[in-house]
Amino acid sequence: MCGIIGYVGYRDARTVLIESLKRLDYRGYDSAGVAIIDKKLKIYKEVGEIAQVEKQIPLLKGTTGIGHTRWATHGAVTKENAHPHLSCDKKIAIIHNGIIENFTKLKEELKKKGHIFRSQTDSEIIAHLIDEAYKGNLENAVIAAVKKIQGSYAIVVVSEDEPNKVIGVRKESPLVIGVGDSENFLASDITAFLKYTNRVMFLNDGELCTITKDTISVYDINKKPIKKKEELITWDIKDAEKSGFPHFMLKEIYDQPDTVNQVLRGRLSEIEETVTFPENVEHLLNNDITSIQIVACGTSFYAGLVGKYLIEQLTNIPVFTELASEYRYFGTRNESSLVIAITQSGETADTLAALREAQASGCKTLVITNAIGSTATRITDGYILQQSGPEIGVAATKTFTSQLIVLLLIALKIAIIQKKIGSDELYNTIFNLKELPRHAREVLERSDDILTIAKHLKNAKSIFFIGRGINYPLSLEGALKLKEISYIHAEGFAAGELKHGPFALLTKDTPVVAIVTQDPTYEKMLANIGEIKARGSPVIAIAEDKDTEIENHADYVLRFPTSSQILPSIQITIVLQLLAYHVANLRKCPIDKPRNLAKSVTVE
Amino acid sequence: MKCVILAAGEGKRMHPLTYTRPKVMLPIAGKPILEWNLLNARAAGIKEFIFIVNYKSEMVREYFADGKQWKVHITYINQGEPLGTAHAIATVEPFVSDCIVLCGDTIFGVNDIKKIAQKGNKIGLIDVEDATEYGIVELKGKQIKKIYEKMEKPFTTLTNAGIYHFNKHIFDYIRKTEKSLRGEYEITDSINMLITKEPMEAIFLKEWRDVVYPWHLLDANEELLKKMKPRNLGIIEKNVTVKGTIVVGKDTVIRSGSYIEGPVVIGSNSKIGPNCYLRPYTTIGNHCHIGNACEVKNSIIMDYSNVPHLNYVGDSIIGQHCNLGAGTTVANLRFDKNIIPVVLNGKKINSKRRKLGTIMGDDTQTGINSVINVGTMIGNNVFIGLGALAKGEIKPDAKIL
Amino acid sequence: MTKKAVILAAGEGKRLRPFTETMPKVMLPVANKPLLEHVFDAVKKSGITEVIVVVGYKKEVIMEYFKDYTDIKITYVTQDRQLGTAHALLQAEPYIKDSFIVLAGDNIIDSKSIEALMKDQSDYSLLIKEHPHPSKYGVVFVEQHSIRRIVEKPKEDVGKYISTGIYKLPKSVFKDIKQCSSEGIHALSAVIQSIIDKGAHINTILAKAWMDVVYPWDLITVNEAMIQETTASTSGVIEKGVTLKGPVSIGKDTKIYAGCYIVGPVIIGDGCEIGPNTCIFPSTTIGNNTVIHPFSDIRSSVLMDDTHISSNSHISHSVIGKGCIIGDNFSTITGKTIIEIDDEFKKLETPIGAMIGQDSIIESHVVVDPGKIIGRKCIISPLNHITKNIASESKVI
Repeated sequence: MCGIIGYVGYRDARTVLIESLKRLDYRGYDSAGVAIIDKKLKIYKEVGEIAQVEKQIPLLKGTTGIGHTRWATHGAVTKENAHPHLSCDKKIAIIHNGIIENFTKLKEELKKKGHIFRSQTDSEIIAHLIDEAYKGNLENAVIAAVKKIQGSYAIVVVSEDEPNKVIGVRKESPLVIGVGDSENFLASDITAFLKYTNRVMFLNDGELCTITKDTISVYDINKKPIKKKEELITWDIKDAEKSGFPHFMLKEIYDQPDTVNQVLRGRLSEIEETVTFPENVEHLLNNDITSIQIVACGTSFYAGLVGKYLIEQLTNIPVFTELASEYRYFGTRNESSLVIAITQSGETADTLAALREAQASGCKTLVITNAIGSTATRITDGYILQQSGPEIGVAATKTFTSQLIVLLLIALKIAIIQKKIGSDELYNTIFNLKELPRHAREVLERSDDILTIAKHLKNAKSIFFIGRGINYPLSLEGALKLKEISYIHAEGFAAGELKHGPFALLTKDTPVVAIVTQDPTYEKMLANIGEIKARGSPVIAIAEDKDTEIENHADYVLRFPTSSQILPSIQITIVLQLLAYHVANLRKCPIDKPRNLAKSVTVE
Repeated sequence: MKCVILAAGEGKRMHPLTYTRPKVMLPIAGKPILEWNLLNARAAGIKEFIFIVNYKSEMVREYFADGKQWKVHITYINQGEPLGTAHAIATVEPFVSDCIVLCGDTIFGVNDIKKIAQKGNKIGLIDVEDATEYGIVELKGKQIKKIYEKMEKPFTTLTNAGIYHFNKHIFDYIRKTEKSLRGEYEITDSINMLITKEPMEAIFLKEWRDVVYPWHLLDANEELLKKMKPRNLGIIEKNVTVKGTIVVGKDTVIRSGSYIEGPVVIGSNSKIGPNCYLRPYTTIGNHCHIGNACEVKNSIIMDYSNVPHLNYVGDSIIGQHCNLGAGTTVANLRFDKNIIPVVLNGKKINSKRRKLGTIMGDDTQTGINSVINVGTMIGNNVFIGLGALAKGEIKPDAKIL
Repeated sequence: MTKKAVILAAGEGKRLRPFTETMPKVMLPVANKPLLEHVFDAVKKSGITEVIVVVGYKKEVIMEYFKDYTDIKITYVTQDRQLGTAHALLQAEPYIKDSFIVLAGDNIIDSKSIEALMKDQSDYSLLIKEHPHPSKYGVVFVEQHSIRRIVEKPKEDVGKYISTGIYKLPKSVFKDIKQCSSEGIHALSAVIQSIIDKGAHINTILAKAWMDVVYPWDLITVNEAMIQETTASTSGVIEKGVTLKGPVSIGKDTKIYAGCYIVGPVIIGDGCEIGPNTCIFPSTTIGNNTVIHPFSDIRSSVLMDDTHISSNSHISHSVIGKGCIIGDNFSTITGKTIIEIDDEFKKLETPIGAMIGQDSIIESHVVVDPGKIIGRKCIISPLNHITKNIASESKVI
């Protein structure tokens, strides 16, 4: 999750590195640093966000340099642990994204040879390994070092003795080459250098490259040259502004009436009563699907769980939702399965690994993502874009609801193709989808009511969320949002499961948020609420506007408007998002950048 | 002596043609504007070029590569952001000292470039009809005294032609230049500072061709075609009638029954005819197909496009990879024969032309017997269905069924 | 020459309810752009390069909409409490170094008038306009191009010139504002009056085109005036058998189905579905994501984003707020009528239809009398004849 940039060319390296690091900021942000060669190798690094660190970086001259923003995985957040890391003679500087699994052993060996370490990080050993192997040729030294390391890494190296080159290595951590004019770039993300060039070369795992001002050479661990094709990036970056909201997350919650429209744009026709996807995607959704597997992580996984209910209800095709990180360890799959991978960023390492597993087993793959041009879109058979616009807040909000809508559209499309939906039901579903923005707006207008309830929760030590059926994954997501940004322990449960263990935790200090919808699960939910209240826990119900019975059961009620059985998920989600937001705000937590979390997790 | 060419601009007023290419790559008489400048500069003795690119730079790079084909050397520099002419020129500081700088989207003549290349600070000036569109220049003897922004009532018709000779001091003045009112760093501001300390000689240009709106390309095309010398590298079958000058590229075949009134330029690998009628000031690109019973007049058809069966195209520009269905016709004259108004980028513009067909972007297709009204601006990747009518401004990716 | 403008955009616009219940007055759309954007366009065209926008009520709506706007440099200042136009202007003081133009963000003005104001040599200048019924506004008594008195909303019918509220002012006016404020004077026109009383000469310049939006029905008139600039620009998909006449602008991803007959000037936004067999007549603006079902006819109306019109509806001279769901066989009746608003009775000179606030649901076969205002989030049951205004969030059974 760290941000990496390497530059060699004619422009002022300091300017280029700082600009690029700012664009990579979302990837990791507890510290930042640069190393620039101007006759001598000079580094500067400090704890804090790049915007603050920037002001302190001295005006180092030079046209070759590397830069890094850090999200700590090993070693505390300190100036010494920040990257770049230096060799003992301070002539070699490296930056690293990833985890070195055998670093303890290597560190011991290096110490025995007299190396002195300045930090507690695993990354620092790379600089020392290269130094140890250096005999006048930087490439050979880097190769020798890499042969000793086990783990995942993207590493970029510069050396004072070879000041006109930058070397990069990639293994299971993103690294891309930006092909410029009289200048070249290496970065963890295309957005870092897109301003200067839109030509890239993608490095694959196990590949190394050396860039100079005018040349790029890619080779493998045996120094055999690899031919690389230059590819053109046709999309451009748009930055988001907070526009008067106190937090990006709040703005993104309020974006949802619009993002709902954006997801549907060009795909749903009310007049023609059809769902349209690009041709290659429609091809994937044809008659032959016998089972569907959804793989994802975190909030996207919960979206996938909702997707299971949506798709099974509409199409009767069995759907299995799996955690991407677990996928490789079990499960049968075959050629007639469709595997749907959900990843907002398109770079989540666990999900990419699961995607590759699926392809290796012969499955067809479909990706739901928000990032055009991401790794996921390049390795899959087909992809559907969420079209939600950039999400800056680390906690996923609008991207979750747009994923739900994409899953519903997929369910509808399959149901239409397999003739499993009647025209009345189809029309009603389409009409309800079109009503979503207004329902979303209505929930947003009730933000103050949600704030009132949040006040009752802000001092709780533990909060539980329960739901049945399609509301069960929503309860999981509600708990995740709350704990992510307010740091209160929260857990979601299927309502029927409480009595099989978790009841033991219930006290008067553990509020329970119950999602109650007027469908076949209603009566049982009321019964569950009764059981919970019998143990003294306060119950906050999230219930429909037209539910008149619920007041007699719950202590507090948060209402949402709905006109359909299949879609109140969006309204309920917004209630849960606002609840989490208000609790976190009351506790004065840093909502857009919660501690220890990064936006796109690219380590496994 | 290096020649720096500004080639970074999109040229929004050249929509729909510039949705998919930078302005400097617009073709006139079969070559991009930038190539004409390259050839003229080379004839003036320049061998080293620096192209400052940005918008769709890959098209410039793909066409010119390193310049070997023209026996020159080209370096590319990416401007990064469109922050104005001074900012663009500043990016080349590490690469030049004494140099010529010219705007890539205006065509300059060989002799003028030679004069500008002579020693000393120089600026090219040109007399224009309507000076309200350009920055005007005040003289003091042989030197320039000040460059003014464009004004409603200009006091002279002498304008800044967009070609300069700088020494390395210009970079110091660029560093001191502040953002102009429109938010860009303008080289004219830097020059105004420079000339308080050093003289800059005014050179009056004899040749100068500027294009602002797409239909200006037709005028430029006409002017260049008039100077062409006949050449045939293709195959002209028997019973083809050729009047006036025509230029035919390699491996192009012109089939019997074709009637060509020059000056007309046809690229390479194209198929012309049988029985088609090409009228003066028409340029056909490479890999095109102009088929049976088609008439093309005063138009530019870009590479890989087809006007294949029973079509009429007059006073028009057709982009690359376009295909006109059989029977598609373009209207180019109003019934009342008045000036044709055009809608471009949502605004009404007076084309000042009595005859104007269509300007069509790349990758657009028309169905059989479709009809295109006068002055229609069609975006790229548009689909005009069978029998459909296209008029006004049609944005990219639209479908008229 | 003056290059900066201060635009007052903090006001709520109470007389424009129900539309201003969810957005500030300056964001009301005509010809598919908020009023404020039309002001920005005119200001930019006149040569001004930087604007200071004073925001307040629902400022996020403004800031979110213009976040990618680069045509002009925008600086926002917030007026935390609505304490009058002079107080609003005062918020911009830190950004003003020279003389400047001040104008309201909800008035339509042409760029040439602003230019004339900027070029004027006097310290103080004001754009004025002739008006047949000046008593709604600030009437200006002019003597030899100089103002003697400004009288806000005079009871008697006096003079024929009104103040547009668009001034060119020197930096010293902030001193005057602060002084007046301590004396309890908070309206800008009153501050100007006090400056006149001290002997200053306020030059007057006749404005060419100026329109104010005060009441909901003004949106129709202003929409009609601004839509004249529309050009025939087509995006989206146009099926076979659609007739488009005159300047019709169709947005991206919008589909017009067969049999539609659209006569411009008409603007249709992005992502809409129109038809089949729907007629849209001149001076109609339709926002984004709108669906209009067959056999409906719409004329001289403003439909905001996300609206849904079912079949056989007749909508004329009406304003339909964002997200409204209109059932089938809906009819607005157009006529010149007397409208009650804010405890005043206004006799309208031009025909008017219905005005419906955001997110209302109107069910089948509803008829609305001329000039009736239906609030936000109302629900109207089938077969109702609406003869009175309906308050926001009400139900009509």
